[in-house]
Amino acid sequence: MSLTTNIIAAHDQVLHFPKDGKPSLAPNEWLIWSGDQDKSEDEGGLPDLEHGAHKVLVPFTWWLSQINSHHHEADIQAKAKNGQIGVWFAADDDILKHADVIEAGKKVWSLVAAHFPIFRDGRSFSTTALLRNRFAWQGEIRAIGDVLIDQLLQGARVGFDSFALRPDQNLDVALKQFDLYTVTTQNSWRDKRSTVSA
Amino acid sequence: MYKYDHIDQTLVNQRVAQFRDQVARRLNGSLKEEEFRPLRLQNGLYHQRHAYMLRVAIPYGLFNSQQLRTMALIAEKYDRGYGHFTTRQNIQYNWVTLEDTPDILAELAKVEMHAIQTSGNCIRNITSDAFAGVAGDEYVDPRPVCELLRQWSTLHPEFAHLPRKFKFAINGAKEDRTILLCHDVGIELKKDSQGELVADIYAGGGMGRTPILGSLIKQALPWQLLPSYLTALLRVYNRFGRRDNLYKARIKILVKALGPEEFARQVEGEWLHIKNGDDNFTQAEWNRVAKHFTKPVYKSLSKLSHEALINLASETDKTAFSRWLERNVKDHQVPGYASVILSLKPHGTVAPGDATTAQMRAIADLADQYSFGELRATHEQNLVLADVEQARLHELWQEAKKQKVALPNVGLLTDIIACPGGDFCSLANAKSLPIAKAIQERFDDLDYLFDLGDISLNISGCINSCGHHHVGNIGVLGVDKDGEEWYQITLGGEQGNDAAIGKVIGPSFYADEIPDVITNVINTYVKERTEDESFISAYRRLGVTPFKDAAYKNAKKKEKAASAGEAS
Repeated sequence: MSLTTNIIAAHDQVLHFPKDGKPSLAPNEWLIWSGDQDKSEDEGGLPDLEHGAHKVLVPFTWWLSQINSHHHEADIQAKAKNGQIGVWFAADDDILKHADVIEAGKKVWSLVAAHFPIFRDGRSFSTTALLRNRFAWQGEIRAIGDVLIDQLLQGARVGFDSFALRPDQNLDVALKQFDLYTVTTQNSWRDKRSTVSA
Repeated sequence: MYKYDHIDQTLVNQRVAQFRDQVARRLNGSLKEEEFRPLRLQNGLYHQRHAYMLRVAIPYGLFNSQQLRTMALIAEKYDRGYGHFTTRQNIQYNWVTLEDTPDILAELAKVEMHAIQTSGNCIRNITSDAFAGVAGDEYVDPRPVCELLRQWSTLHPEFAHLPRKFKFAINGAKEDRTILLCHDVGIELKKDSQGELVADIYAGGGMGRTPILGSLIKQALPWQLLPSYLTALLRVYNRFGRRDNLYKARIKILVKALGPEEFARQVEGEWLHIKNGDDNFTQAEWNRVAKHFTKPVYKSLSKLSHEALINLASETDKTAFSRWLERNVKDHQVPGYASVILSLKPHGTVAPGDATTAQMRAIADLADQYSFGELRATHEQNLVLADVEQARLHELWQEAKKQKVALPNVGLLTDIIACPGGDFCSLANAKSLPIAKAIQERFDDLDYLFDLGDISLNISGCINSCGHHHVGNIGVLGVDKDGEEWYQITLGGEQGNDAAIGKVIGPSFYADEIPDVITNVINTYVKERTEDESFISAYRRLGVTPFKDAAYKNAKKKEKAASAGEAS
């Protein structure tokens, strides 16, 4: 089993902040798989979902390669429909180039994620804004990678509703980030811009 | 001018609280410096050579006397008794401590000021024409659009971590006083044939290592659609701007790589999906903001002739006063009024753009007495009293002289734009301020300066170009070679409607050679000019050669300079 080398992260807890809800911590069910494939593995290197963890986020590029190869497509589609596979988008994945795959994915993925290679790389903010606005993705979008306390507010506003924070981050401080502001001066996924009552 | 409503005030107060918490986490060690750095930069706090430097926004250059008094208070209480007005309508304090910063921001918030997005890889403080609303050549008052976009861009979540900094300039006048084409996005406002307010959008301009003038990518965009169009533009940049190389991360590199047409096409493609969305501005929002930019209560006056104005001065003062009228007083839209530029460029003193606590307080009083309590900061690092009765100009001139802000050198060789340079800035390769001082001391003869007429001389201490050297008729750039400070000269730069990037004339010089080099260049102009021909016109007619030959004629260290090669 390739879990030790090819799993990017397996958080104990994730921070959930549903739209119109309150932020809270919950046990995490999802492994984040790097997509690096061991030759010895079946199913394109996908972690063993029967015997190991039950749910895995796979790289979008891996998903693309599998559905294009058709070899394992039926199996991964079934696992996705069964709620065992979601996809994560790398910062340089151009989701607009694969609009058809995303549209089809909406019917099978129970979770998608967008990755921050480093906290100051803002590309996943636009990816998530597009998932919400262009693709009308209604399900959960998780921030993964170098996710720090001081990105949470921006992330929550562009469309993320769960956060797998970098393990060294203080989750109590993290939970307090979302009510720092009671006003906003531009529209976002969560709120319309504040208006002055006449 | 604009007055905060409870939304603006709440947001700024909450930003102070947020930053206070971030600073506390930095001080207790739970936030590492590397991770704190982008957070403090997005709130204007740099770590400089000697101390922290706080850059405070003066949105589109407009402020009031009460705000200036707070700026003075901060200089007195938290700094060393002065502030530095920058080339992008900000004020900087060079000697603050990290621990004091939240309190400084709280002081600023009390007078509707902040340091939000004055640095960092985000949408920076929006700049505009310092004469907005009063300039004689104005088509459209840009201030409502400036304010609407200030609000739209403040804490914009999607664009909080762009590949690199992102600067807007907005102009609504015939003459461009914003260096519009040297901005990541330049917005030119005008009225279309139906009288509707529309914007031409220029993208991909910038100075820095690769100076490029912006390209027109969108014409006649209705003002209401600015948020959706700019979202599309920034989204394309955020997704595809380079992040692998700091020096190639500005939007100008993306626009150049794709070509302006292809970049415009991609923006248009993105915009199609969002142009009809509810991000766009409404008329109600315009009304809410625009009501603050009404004209002050002008008296009904008639325009005074030049002769009548000069006769306000005594015989002995006439020459000096008329010089000030010629250089530092500008036409106004309203008869009987004028705009006055207070020069922060006294010869041979500290830094261009510096004002002391005492000067700031006195200038605040002048604003109250002479100009409805309002002021503007120019990108040339001077201050403006925009609405002065012509009949009171002589009185104001005498007051301004007492504060040493009446030197009639606006637009002349010694009205030098300069960054703080190596004396303060940790990015700088070389010092700027001693060069500015040496040039001002060399050309300390007002008769001669007047004879030379309009010449811009801009100095940057490094290629980041905060001193706008690329658009100076004469540009001086500090470069580092083998640990020594050298200075590269460019000629032919220009701001305004004929904006141009200056050309490097050749190998760099030592600091002590610069006054002679400038003298030789100026002497060539004086020798070659035709009657009434400005420096830049003569340069364009003659080309670089005679100026270059003159610049190097005494270059004692020329060989060494040549062997050291060009700046990277």
